[in-house]
Amino acid sequence: MRIFTKGWMDVKRRLSKMFSFILVLTLLAACGNSAINTSSNEERNEASQQGESAETIKIGSILPFSGVYASLGKDLSDGMKLYFDSINWKVEGKKIELIEEDTEADPQVALRKLRKLMDQDNIDILNGAVSTAVAYAIRDEVDSKKLPYLTSHAGGNDLTRGKRSDYIWRSSFSSWQIGHSMGEWAFENVGDKMYIAAADYAFGREVSAAFIEAYKNAGGEIVGEVYPPLGNNDYSSYLTTIGGVEADGVYGFFAGSDAVRFVQQFKQFGLKEKFKLVGSGWLVAEDLRETIGNAAEGTFASTFWDYNLETEENQAFVKAYEEAYNRRPTIESLEGYDAARIIAEAITVTKGDVSDSEKLVEAIANVSFTSPRGEISFDKETHHVIQNMYISETVLSEGKTENKIIDTIEKVQDPGK
Amino acid sequence: MKKTFAKYLMIILALCLTPFFLSLFHLNLLSEILIFGIFALSLNVLVGYTGLVSLGHAAFFGVGAYTAGLVAKNLTSNLFMTVGMTVLISVLVAALIGLFCLKVSGFYFLMLTLAFSQMIYSYIYQSTNLTGGSNGLSGIPKAVVGSFQFANPVYIFYLILLFFLLTYFALRLVVKSPFGQVLIGIRENETRIKSMGYNTYIYKYSAFLIAGCFGGLAGSLYTYFNGFVAPSDVYWTMSGAALIMVLIGGAGTMNGPVFGAALFVTLETLISSYTNSWMLIVGSVFIIFVIFFPKGIVGIGESVVQFIKTRKQQAYEQKKSHAT
Amino acid sequence: MDLIGAQLVNGVSYGLLLFIITCGLSLVFGILGVLNLAHGSMYMFGAYIAYSLTATYTQSFWIALLISPICVALLALVVELILLRPTYQLGHLSQVLLTFGLAYVFHDIASYIWGSNVLTIQVPPVFSGSISVFGQVFPAYRIVVIVIGIIIAALLWFIQAKTRWGAIIRAGLNDKEMVSALGVNIKLVFTIVFIVGGLLAGFGGVIAGPILGIYPSMEFQTLILALVVLVIGGLGSIAGTLVAGLLVGVFETFSRFLFPELSMFLIFGLMVMVLVVKPNGLFGKKVA
Repeated sequence: MRIFTKGWMDVKRRLSKMFSFILVLTLLAACGNSAINTSSNEERNEASQQGESAETIKIGSILPFSGVYASLGKDLSDGMKLYFDSINWKVEGKKIELIEEDTEADPQVALRKLRKLMDQDNIDILNGAVSTAVAYAIRDEVDSKKLPYLTSHAGGNDLTRGKRSDYIWRSSFSSWQIGHSMGEWAFENVGDKMYIAAADYAFGREVSAAFIEAYKNAGGEIVGEVYPPLGNNDYSSYLTTIGGVEADGVYGFFAGSDAVRFVQQFKQFGLKEKFKLVGSGWLVAEDLRETIGNAAEGTFASTFWDYNLETEENQAFVKAYEEAYNRRPTIESLEGYDAARIIAEAITVTKGDVSDSEKLVEAIANVSFTSPRGEISFDKETHHVIQNMYISETVLSEGKTENKIIDTIEKVQDPGK
Repeated sequence: MKKTFAKYLMIILALCLTPFFLSLFHLNLLSEILIFGIFALSLNVLVGYTGLVSLGHAAFFGVGAYTAGLVAKNLTSNLFMTVGMTVLISVLVAALIGLFCLKVSGFYFLMLTLAFSQMIYSYIYQSTNLTGGSNGLSGIPKAVVGSFQFANPVYIFYLILLFFLLTYFALRLVVKSPFGQVLIGIRENETRIKSMGYNTYIYKYSAFLIAGCFGGLAGSLYTYFNGFVAPSDVYWTMSGAALIMVLIGGAGTMNGPVFGAALFVTLETLISSYTNSWMLIVGSVFIIFVIFFPKGIVGIGESVVQFIKTRKQQAYEQKKSHAT
Repeated sequence: MDLIGAQLVNGVSYGLLLFIITCGLSLVFGILGVLNLAHGSMYMFGAYIAYSLTATYTQSFWIALLISPICVALLALVVELILLRPTYQLGHLSQVLLTFGLAYVFHDIASYIWGSNVLTIQVPPVFSGSISVFGQVFPAYRIVVIVIGIIIAALLWFIQAKTRWGAIIRAGLNDKEMVSALGVNIKLVFTIVFIVGGLLAGFGGVIAGPILGIYPSMEFQTLILALVVLVIGGLGSIAGTLVAGLLVGVFETFSRFLFPELSMFLIFGLMVMVLVVKPNGLFGKKVA
């Protein structure tokens, strides 16, 4: 008898536990943002928008703040903040909120952060991505959720070609613009035989391919190509090989620490005496200039902005940046600054209304102004920025290097195919 | 027996109901935890049960992910085809790598697995035409079964949950079987097992194949989940992360790696939203666990349960002595 | 022919650089049995401290070369006393994992102090010129690296073969318990060896800085390279590290010359081949 009662009590206890558990679950499901609810709408959750977008516009920014590209992410972020500071973080009476997330330049982490920004923070506009891999990774997500995305650095050609989306607009550059503009110029100003050395990753390959195409079309001859792995620490063997070749110049696409080593070793191995060194802006970037030192003298580069660009807008920008941060702006700082302004101007056109993605994207498409890099506007078909490209030469001034702009190529437009 | 069955049923039920009360972001986080849970469980077969510490497990994850992606993009996105090809290729790669790696032991095994993983990484990284290189493989279509497409994150979650449960129970069966016992024996004292007449090479090789198979499966699920694969998924840091998950969770147990995966993913996501110094925190947590909690989270759990039991026992004894 | 000769010089220079970077790791592993995964981080600190010294306080490379390794050695002392000494009973694997966690922690500390920009160390003006060897132009500093590498190798050999400390180390490499039983304070030996490992790592950082550069995550790339050299040479053998360093240096240089895109792949392929033929490395002793 006793055992029977005890057993029954046990069963009752267990049943009641299960019931209360299920009750709690149902309650949680009823209220709020469960996955079942949000995933059945393809678009951003309009309902939770209404309450908040009344007073604040949320801009999500995914950038690398740790890892190899950390300094680029920081510069871009500082540039954005500089612009928003100048307009007091208000547009059309609404407050601007910038929510930044660290991608660690890792596409999986970036996707996770993007989901957080979209689902938890309910951002209205997305900005950022330094690494092209990150941009490609989030492309489908951004497109299907109809989130306006202003790419402020990642330069992979495909983002505005094969992977084009109505909601993705790029204000930075494309690998093609960088390589192509130097290709034509190099044939006319350097010589008709060039050797190519580019870091073996997608960016290096794309830019050098664009250079090769333009250079050959102009009539030049490529006498050799070599693609050292990204992060290669010693170029001695490659440089020794190049040293024995007949050419007028070497086109080198390297960035970051690779650029520092390549340019320094280029001089150390005596190649500077034989060849002109030609490259992209990143070969002699502002943030590397001091580290590379005098080895960079005489290098030609193609870029869309330089610290020494002598326009009113640029000088004002440089002054403001140096006052705020006590260091020189880099090309990424400029990208951030422009991106912030583009977003602000687009919001001004829609009179502060960010609930309609189509309208916002149309507003972005029509933005055009004179930025510190010159006049910029958007190509309505490719969604890519139309801008000037500049050729710079690194000269010695007071014992230190400075990049000087020696030529301008107006309104370079990415062909979109 | 019945109690554990009921416990498992409750947990499975709770997991199935999660899309109804978790937000989309948290559900996706849970999906990632489950995927890494499978990955960590597969490594656990090698590290926890057979005692072979491998730093090259990312190779299988990457091979699985890229195979699934390439098949889906170029051949067909039929779920059975992609999973089938993934398992096939992962096992082949494991078979090849295993031949070399199992010739050595201890530290050399660690380095060889790392070497193979890095070779696969550099191949993937530099084959821009095939794999997209450093830009990654994108535009991968969603998995389909017949005419049903796994497009919705909730459906993907259920798919991942299904594979997770399959993996968990399959591996549980394996480690509790006589085969699994031999593996544990090899971990404890290989010479002894050899002297008992077992061909330890075959057992180690099979463990390696099993680990490779499920590691590749985890990779393919990652492709369905993200629709994107990048070379960073094959880099040695992915192997390191898996090892951390297994060790912090509790090597040699079935639940440990899953807890480890949960802790790692949660920590990484939460911390990097607040500070850029997440490596500092992960490193410190890791050091603390290695010194104070060598049995991992499972070990902590067990000591807590033990502690409560002894207290209850003491209270019971006290009551008894008061009553009499 | 000239080209081959020039590439050979490149290879030897790079190889000796690898030796300088790896010998500290080899020594620590051989004696303590602990694979110090924070070795790359100590190398990194050596480079960063040298940068700070040469860029701000003094322009002298030589002072940095003296002070920086000492600073890293002090760091190694702290690490050994606080982290390793109390945990020897946990076993080798656990200590390896400890150093791994430590590497992560050091990464963020370095990033906090020195930021995440790409930096460099200036070579002393005396060596910043170029020399002509085999009809090719070389930076003089590379030849200096060859000389320094040879000096370090000779020094280490001398200490091992001719001094009492060397005898203890050779004995310890063979049989730790016996050495302890013979009355040598093995704990002290461990600490000193770890400090020397740190000293060598820091020294490597200063020497390699001008060539390899200073940038975030440099310690992990260097660590992998050091591990490859270590494994090929064989654990517990300094001579092995020297031979392996030269082998990897020359092999990598020539593979960059002949198969430029495959060089990353081929280095690991080399490691696989060596281990298949000699499972304990070229000069390695069997490790438990």
